[in-house]
Formats: sequence, structure tokens, C-alpha cells
Amino acid sequence: MSAVHEHDDRSFELLERAFRELLIEKGVLSQAEVDERVELMYSRTPALGARVVARAWFDSEFKARLLADGSAAVRELGIDVGTLKLVVIENTPEVHNLVVCTLCSCYPRMLLGMPPDWYKSIAYRARAVREPRAVLAEFGVEPEPGTTIRVHDSTADMRYLVLPRRPAGTENLSEADCAALVTRDAMIGAG
Amino acid sequence: MNELTATAHHDVGGAPGHEPIPREQHAFLPWELRVDALMWILGDAGRPGGRRMTVDELRRGIESLSPDQYRSLGYYEKWLTSLVAIMREKGIVSGAELRKRLAEVTIAHEGEHALEHAGDEHAQDGGDRA
Amino acid sequence: MPSSMPATSTRKTAATVPEAAARFSTGDAVRVANGAVFGHVRTPQYVRGKIGTVERICGRFRAPEELSRGKYDGAQRALYRVRFLQVEVWPDYHGDPSDTLDVEIYEHWLEPVRTKR
Repeated sequence: MSAVHEHDDRSFELLERAFRELLIEKGVLSQAEVDERVELMYSRTPALGARVVARAWFDSEFKARLLADGSAAVRELGIDVGTLKLVVIENTPEVHNLVVCTLCSCYPRMLLGMPPDWYKSIAYRARAVREPRAVLAEFGVEPEPGTTIRVHDSTADMRYLVLPRRPAGTENLSEADCAALVTRDAMIGAG
Repeated sequence: MNELTATAHHDVGGAPGHEPIPREQHAFLPWELRVDALMWILGDAGRPGGRRMTVDELRRGIESLSPDQYRSLGYYEKWLTSLVAIMREKGIVSGAELRKRLAEVTIAHEGEHALEHAGDEHAQDGGDRA
Repeated sequence: MPSSMPATSTRKTAATVPEAAARFSTGDAVRVANGAVFGHVRTPQYVRGKIGTVERICGRFRAPEELSRGKYDGAQRALYRVRFLQVEVWPDYHGDPSDTLDVEIYEHWLEPVRTKR
């Protein structure tokens, strides 16, 4: 199948069309299902994760449940996470967490949407496990000396969400305003 | 480390080098999102008829690419190459029908492309181009 | 057993261990198998042969080696999060000696480490 390996502008787009048309004709799946899944991808953004983080900042009992069983706690908020097995890891003054998938690009898409390109890059996957402090510095994150850095490699069935520290000076903000401050990168540990 | 494991070019954790992490973000193309959707549908155990494949099969297909392909193909180009290989392996689509259909959609695309260009000229006449 | 399973897997099969049991407990020292690998596995090279500590038990899942070959009804295996000290994984590690690397590893990749008392 030489066309599969030709790397020009349109060959993969055309291959996708041909492949999808055949799967539809054979009754394996329908165009409506494809459209529905694509819509779902657009609907999942880091705002979902930010909502979870802000709730944990405002409700210490929720936070305890979130750290004990991430998926169950997130479902309490009415967020559909399907079969996701979520592990939430908390940043503290003593510990900073960083998430990576060295083998591919596993990511908590149910809560953060599509992974950014940098997360999928070979440079990030190679370096995050070996020199996390240098990687964090590139993202402008410089934990105090003496802070323990915990790197989490998503190698199997769990997915990880970092619970960042609540920024100082946010005591008078509402939960929704706090959620608006939570960045995608912070929930990966790189922001 | 033995020779066999050393050939696992996807297994990059701790690989030497300090190359800066690229921070540009490309906009997803519609076909890329459709490839993603196809994987989720084919791997969904909850659908009627059950799943047609697993994410580990997708990964095996990607890991079977040559090191050159692994480095040079785009993310969803790798996914699609693997999806096609796995569906062929399972006999759900054949290479012959895929080649035939690819030829057909290529011709159809050329026709659509010509139409798009006709539209472009029209837009240009109207001064819509920046 | 597929050829991609590490040698330690043969010691523990579904027939000898009840489904619900996990061989290791939180806090146990474990060593990651380091044999020849064929095909798809989810245990990164950098951690093979290294000793870590079970951080938590994640549940039971089917083995990626089997799932990747189209076997969807294989035995479920315990999955652990194993915590390694960075300085143990990378001899040239520059960072705090307390820094860690947590990796999910399936039971058939782990062997017990006898700790000195």
C-alpha cells in the first residue's frame, strides 16, 4: 500500500476518507457515531478539570474523597468520565507533581480534552522522567530547593490530574473565579 | 539492556539529550479528529457487537512502524496507519478494497478541489481576499 | 502465555492465585523483571531490573501483552503503582535525593525483594 507511506499533504486525509467509507459500508460503524465522537472531543476542555480543582480548594471533604478515589469524586460533580480510572495527586509546599506518558501520550482527556502537542513530543517524554527540574524550568516552574519532585509515568490504566496549590491572595474570590485561574498546564504539573 | 529491548523506539523515557520541548501547537485538522473518533468507536466495548480492537492493538501497530516512520509521521498519521493495519489483520477491510476506494476518493477529491478553486476565483473577484 | 511475558509471569497464573488476591501489599519492595521482550509491553525500559516500593494497588486489569494480540478474555492481573527513587533509576540524577518516579506496573512484571531486618 504505497499510498499509506507517502507523506504528502493529502494522502492521509484521503486514506482516512477511504477507510471510514469502507467501515461505514460494512456496517462496522456509522457516520453519525463519528460526528458524535468528534463533537464530544470539542466539548471536553480543561475547564472541566479546573472545576474539579476549584471545588477541592473550597471543600476539604471533597478534596479528601478526590484524593482517595478520583473518578468517584469527579462523578459527584456530574462530570461523565466513562471508564476513566483517575488518580489525583496533590501539590503541597513539600511536593511538586509532574505527569508524563513516556510510551505514548496517555492523558486525562475526559477532564482536560486533547493533550497539547508538547505533551506528545519525544523531547518531553524523554526528559520529564530524567531531568524533571530542567523541564519544569522551561515551563517557568521552579520549585523551592528541598521540594520533592514526583514524576508520574502513565504507563497503564490510570490517568493523572495534578491538584495545584491554591494561589495566595485568592481568599476573597468565588469558586468560579478560582476555577478560571486554573490552567491546563498546572493540572499536568507543568504550570 | 538487551538488543531486543533496545529496538523499542517508542520507549523513549530517559533517552539521552536535552533538546528543548517544542511548544508550538498545531490546530487539529478535521480528518485527525475523525481518526481519533474511529479509534474510540472501534475500541468501545459498550457498543452493540462489542469492540473491534483495543488501544493496545493500536499501540502495537504504532510500535511496529520503522524508527524512521515513528519519528517522521504525524501523530494521527501514525494512528491511521496502525488502525488500517489492525483492521486489515482482522480481515475487516482488505488491502485490495482499500486501494480501490483510495483511488476513487482521490479522483473525487480532485474534482472537489477544482470546484473549490472556482469558488476562490469568485471570492477574489469580490475582493474578499486579504 | 505469550512469548512477550517476562519469565516471572510463569510462577503466578490464574489457576494458582484467586482472582481477587494481590500478591504484593502497599509498602512492599519489588523488583521489575528484566528479561528479553518481544512485542507490545507497557513496562518502560528505564525501570526494568530496578527496585521500588508499592505505592498503591490500582485494581485488576487484563495484560497489555495479550490485549495487543487480540486476546480480550485473558486473566485479570493486579496493577500496582510502584515508586522508585530517581537516584536509583538514573545513576547520574541531578536533583533532590527524595525525588521519585511512580510507574504503573502489572503484577506479572514484579518479583519480591527480600528486605534485610
